Amino acid sequence: MRTFTFPVRWAFLSVLALWLAGCTDPYMPDVITSPPSYLVVDGFINSQGVTTIKLSRTYAVASKAAVPVETRATVYIEDEAGTRQLLTESSVKGTYASVAHTLNTARKYRLHINTLAGREYVSDYVPVKTTPPIDSLPWRTDNNGLSIYVNAHDATNATQYYRWEYVETWEINPIYRPSVEYVNNRMRDIVVPYPSICWGNAASTIIQIDKTTALTQDIVSDFRLRLLPINSDLLNSQYSILVQQYALTREEYAYWELLRKNTESIGSLFDPQPAQLTGNVHCISSPDEITLGFIGAHSLSQRRIFIRRQDLPANWRPRTGYESCMPPDSVFIDRPAPPPPNPAFILQGAFAGGAFLPIEELYSQRGVLIGYTAKSKDCIDCRTRGTSVKPSFWP
Amino acid sequence: MKHVYPALLALFSLFFGFASYGQQAEKTVTGTFTHLPFEQLVRQVEAQTSYKVYFDPAVVDSLFVTLDARAWPVQAVFYQALQNTVFKFAIDDEHRVFVTKDVAINPALADDFYQTRTTAAVAAEETEPTGPSGRSHLVSVSEYKVYTIGTGGSGASRVTLAGHIRDQKSGEPVIGASIYSESPNIGASTDQFGSFSLTMPPGRYDLKIRGVGIKNTKRQVVLQGNGKLEIEVEEDIVTLKEVVVEAEKDKNVSGMQMGVEKLDIKTMRQVPTAFGETDILRVVMTLPGVKTVGEGSTGLNVRGGATDQNLILFNDATIYNPSHLFGFFSAFNPDILQGVELYKSAIPAKYGGRLSSVLDITTREGNKKKIGGSGGIGPLTSRLTLEGPLVKDKSSFIVSGRASYSDWILKQLDDKNFAQSSAAFYDITAHISHEINDKNSIYATGYFSSDRFRLASDTSYHYTNQTATLKWRHNFTNQLYGVLTGTYSHYDYDVTSQNNPVTASQLKYAINQGGLRADFSYFPNSRHTVDFGVSSQLYVIDPGSLLPRGEASLIRPDVLGQERGLESALYVSDRFDITPRFSVSAGLRYSLFQALGPRSVYQYAPGESRSEASITDTVSYGSNKVLATYHGPEYRLSARYSLNDHSSVKASYTRTRQYIHQLSNTASVSPTDVWKLSDNNIRPQVGDQYSVGYYRNFKNNTIETSVETYYKTLNDFVDYKSGATLVLNHHIETDIINAQGKAYGVEVFVKKLTGKLNGWVGYTYSRSLVQVNAAVTEDMVNGGTYYPSNFDKPHDFNLVGNYRFSRRFSTSLNFNYSTGRPITLPLAKYYIGNSLRVLYSDRNAYRVPDYLRLDLAINIEGSHKVKKLAHSSWTVGVYNLTGRRNPYSVYFKSVNGQIKGYQLSIFGNPIPTVTYNFKF
Repeated sequence: MRTFTFPVRWAFLSVLALWLAGCTDPYMPDVITSPPSYLVVDGFINSQGVTTIKLSRTYAVASKAAVPVETRATVYIEDEAGTRQLLTESSVKGTYASVAHTLNTARKYRLHINTLAGREYVSDYVPVKTTPPIDSLPWRTDNNGLSIYVNAHDATNATQYYRWEYVETWEINPIYRPSVEYVNNRMRDIVVPYPSICWGNAASTIIQIDKTTALTQDIVSDFRLRLLPINSDLLNSQYSILVQQYALTREEYAYWELLRKNTESIGSLFDPQPAQLTGNVHCISSPDEITLGFIGAHSLSQRRIFIRRQDLPANWRPRTGYESCMPPDSVFIDRPAPPPPNPAFILQGAFAGGAFLPIEELYSQRGVLIGYTAKSKDCIDCRTRGTSVKPSFWP
Repeated sequence: MKHVYPALLALFSLFFGFASYGQQAEKTVTGTFTHLPFEQLVRQVEAQTSYKVYFDPAVVDSLFVTLDARAWPVQAVFYQALQNTVFKFAIDDEHRVFVTKDVAINPALADDFYQTRTTAAVAAEETEPTGPSGRSHLVSVSEYKVYTIGTGGSGASRVTLAGHIRDQKSGEPVIGASIYSESPNIGASTDQFGSFSLTMPPGRYDLKIRGVGIKNTKRQVVLQGNGKLEIEVEEDIVTLKEVVVEAEKDKNVSGMQMGVEKLDIKTMRQVPTAFGETDILRVVMTLPGVKTVGEGSTGLNVRGGATDQNLILFNDATIYNPSHLFGFFSAFNPDILQGVELYKSAIPAKYGGRLSSVLDITTREGNKKKIGGSGGIGPLTSRLTLEGPLVKDKSSFIVSGRASYSDWILKQLDDKNFAQSSAAFYDITAHISHEINDKNSIYATGYFSSDRFRLASDTSYHYTNQTATLKWRHNFTNQLYGVLTGTYSHYDYDVTSQNNPVTASQLKYAINQGGLRADFSYFPNSRHTVDFGVSSQLYVIDPGSLLPRGEASLIRPDVLGQERGLESALYVSDRFDITPRFSVSAGLRYSLFQALGPRSVYQYAPGESRSEASITDTVSYGSNKVLATYHGPEYRLSARYSLNDHSSVKASYTRTRQYIHQLSNTASVSPTDVWKLSDNNIRPQVGDQYSVGYYRNFKNNTIETSVETYYKTLNDFVDYKSGATLVLNHHIETDIINAQGKAYGVEVFVKKLTGKLNGWVGYTYSRSLVQVNAAVTEDMVNGGTYYPSNFDKPHDFNLVGNYRFSRRFSTSLNFNYSTGRPITLPLAKYYIGNSLRVLYSDRNAYRVPDYLRLDLAINIEGSHKVKKLAHSSWTVGVYNLTGRRNPYSVYFKSVNGQIKGYQLSIFGNPIPTVTYNFKF
């Protein structure tokens, strides 16, 4: 029941704690020293298109390393009759993809994995569900910000369980246009200007699911996917969201719901107990081994919308994202301190690392070059925050 | 040696009196004695009057007398002479004075000493020459008056004395006071109506009356036949010395009960609380064997039992949610409470229906003599009580209300989250008692509480508790009385959401319980006490409905079918004193539960994990058709053996059965938990507890100690599959699994009852383990092995101490330490669905940091002038004095793809409070 989730109580306790001068402290016990390394299977069997599966391993909670991937495994989709379709590892290690294919909705499918270490894993056979199209992605503004909703329906009442993911893209407009650059230990006029526009890109991290089993019709009405605050820098010029919709079986829905409960609201006394959550993938060669992930089989429908700055209320003042970059710093080369440091030495010290970039020359009132304005690379080169390659879908 | 009296002493030693006096002498004594030997006084008395004095010269040889008698009566002379000495005297009607050491002899002969004699050797009614100061005239007169009960000549070897003990000022019954004779050792305690019944051989007795909050007193009676004795006692205004858990001083050792804790409201008032208001449940939690999962929770875990295994009775009506504001307040207004009794192990056969404990909360009666009131003003709540007679000395009323103003405070805070939130509660209790005549009394109680809150969201919560009790007590004879009780309990909650017109809806739940019971107590003789009775209660539950709100709502109405059940029981128990040192109490309760239609129930394929897919059939039952029946005996056995006057050993075995289950997938009690009856698919819970204890009192019963150990098994209590849906589930049995539990522990308790420094210290070592070993592998938790329950806290130490500086100024200290509660920890992380996720450990494999808290309160009483407009007191307290950040909860969150662990402390700093109480 989406309307009656327990975080409300959680909110109450937070409010109370605040009011009673209670407090929230970080808590990271050191009991977790040698974490188990279980196989993690992420993805779904796409019934109409390319199936992409990511294989990785569990690792320590405190670890800052990249996710350990499971490479050089043999992965294929198979149906109950034994027909197989191979997934090959792409250039991204641990990611396995099939060719585009269309699966028979009358059959059940599963994923079969043989790791390099010789262990064999299978998911449970699942029926194929066909995802209905997204009807619309309306958006509205109020004092809290911009809300983006999704509407969908299935006239046959067959879908009922929905999951959404989205990818957001937005323009980034850096505030500095450097006229000089520091190359080969020398300051010179810039040859290739830094891009004046970039595109930021991010995928959703929150699990968004809804079910219509409590309604008389299979209609998703204004399910809110995203709330952007009034001053979000994503809204500074132009923003786009691509929403991907998946039809789930009841079991897969239950898995995502549990996964959401487990990782997004856990631990206060009024929240449910964390569950031992595993999914539907099992290790055949060692039945006691825990394997994580749920492999469903369904199609994907997606829809994109754009929201421009001028469509938003005029009194909104989105951040540029570069507020902390103002004002620029200065690197002076004419300091009359004895012994005067060599200007070249000063510039080398300031710019040789590449993390700090010059912007433009600074002159004294008499027109003598006394130094350069400068700022960190992140404030100048928008490619630290996105790509300068215009996405193909961008208008 | 002038007079020798060993034979006389032997004759009269059957009865020991504190002091008794002969008839008013006609002659008086005059003379001045300055540190003269006692024998000189004797010579003077015998010379001036016709009295003869009997004593043992060897015993009195070091007794010297200083007094200046001017025409004093003989008894005044002896009173004065022997004051502050170990010597006692007694005077009979033949002008004989007996002086003895330590104990006075009773010069009256037993009633049946001469069968023909019908008038006992009763002394004339007479007041003591100089009564203790400060005592009301009425009471002190009563103490020295000799009451003749019944008419002799019946020849009965045992007679019964019955009556009531009441407060002299307000007429309220005194509950749990004891009335006893020291020799022979026969006693009884008053029940909730203040009545008692004593059966003993005819003769003369000094009956002592002791109780919490009353001044010790006594009555001298000569029992000739069956009769009544109404006793009025004085309230003990300064009650600090009475931090008494048991009323009777030696009850710890000599009482039959084990695993019983009795707290009186005056004791509870002294324990500091977070919001300055006396909280009955929070005090109960300081007792050994009682635990709670968290600071803001009133869910009790008694000896390893779950929170739904406690029968919480408010004047005999069941309370389903005993908390306000998510458990930060208990639902009971302290002003109207009399006290609370908690049965942890040997549960009397009278009670049943829950596995782990009975918490019996009683209200007090209104003042029968005059109109009065009291109240309190605290930081979050205020309360007001009014009471008074309806018919003077016959009937009285008491009405008490309490309301919070937290809502107002929330509004004052300049924060968006607070402004969108609201939280408020109130409760009201009314109680009426009426004494129709000697044999009949009626009592009525009504209770209503309501909570409403909305928390920075569009969802508002609301819940109410309602109970009503009607009682009729009838005395058939002095040896038999009965109580007929009708009760009604109601609990409901609703959750309303209406911001989005398409999903605007209201979720509702309600439980109604009506019950009728008849309880009888029969005292055939002094060695047997028989209780028996019958009870029946009907449950009607609306397990949930989700209804659309407004025209635009697309919510499909979803109403779960009503559940009905009838729980009936018969019981009988006998307490039998086999010898003065060895007593047993044997009880048997037989309970029967019938789940009633109309209802449709699913049948599932055996041997499979229950799910929608494993439903094989749906069976419909008509109205009031029985769809499932469960029944079974519940044994209640206990025994006591006294090793000597100040130590004893007790053992008990208790079986309990429970037919109603609370469904809560959270670690603590929350208002949206639902209660579910047993049916075809959900079996009743059965618990067995074995308990052994050693009890010893020190220093003239002022220090009580006990060590109790128990082993307990719990069968078929409800646990949940991972991520169970409990709300609006049409087939809840598919999300529930039957769990087995075992619990064991040792409880050490030391209480000091009197003195400037008093209080109690308790230490408990206990374990509480759960096993979910379902037939189906998917349903198992932790691979089917035993794992710690949510409230398994092995070490628990509590100290409640009071120090009284003066009559007006006292301090209270509360110290609490316990092992941290078990938690399921994240072991590793992994990447799925564009975010890092957590892999959790086995359920409850780790623990949160230990809990430690110290509270301090200072009570300042107003002046003790008896006649003034209003008595007032201030309580100034600091909760969590050390400011230790005890983790209320530990949780892990995935924020922007990063996993972080946090611990939330509700009381992260010392919380000061001030409460003003008044009484008029």
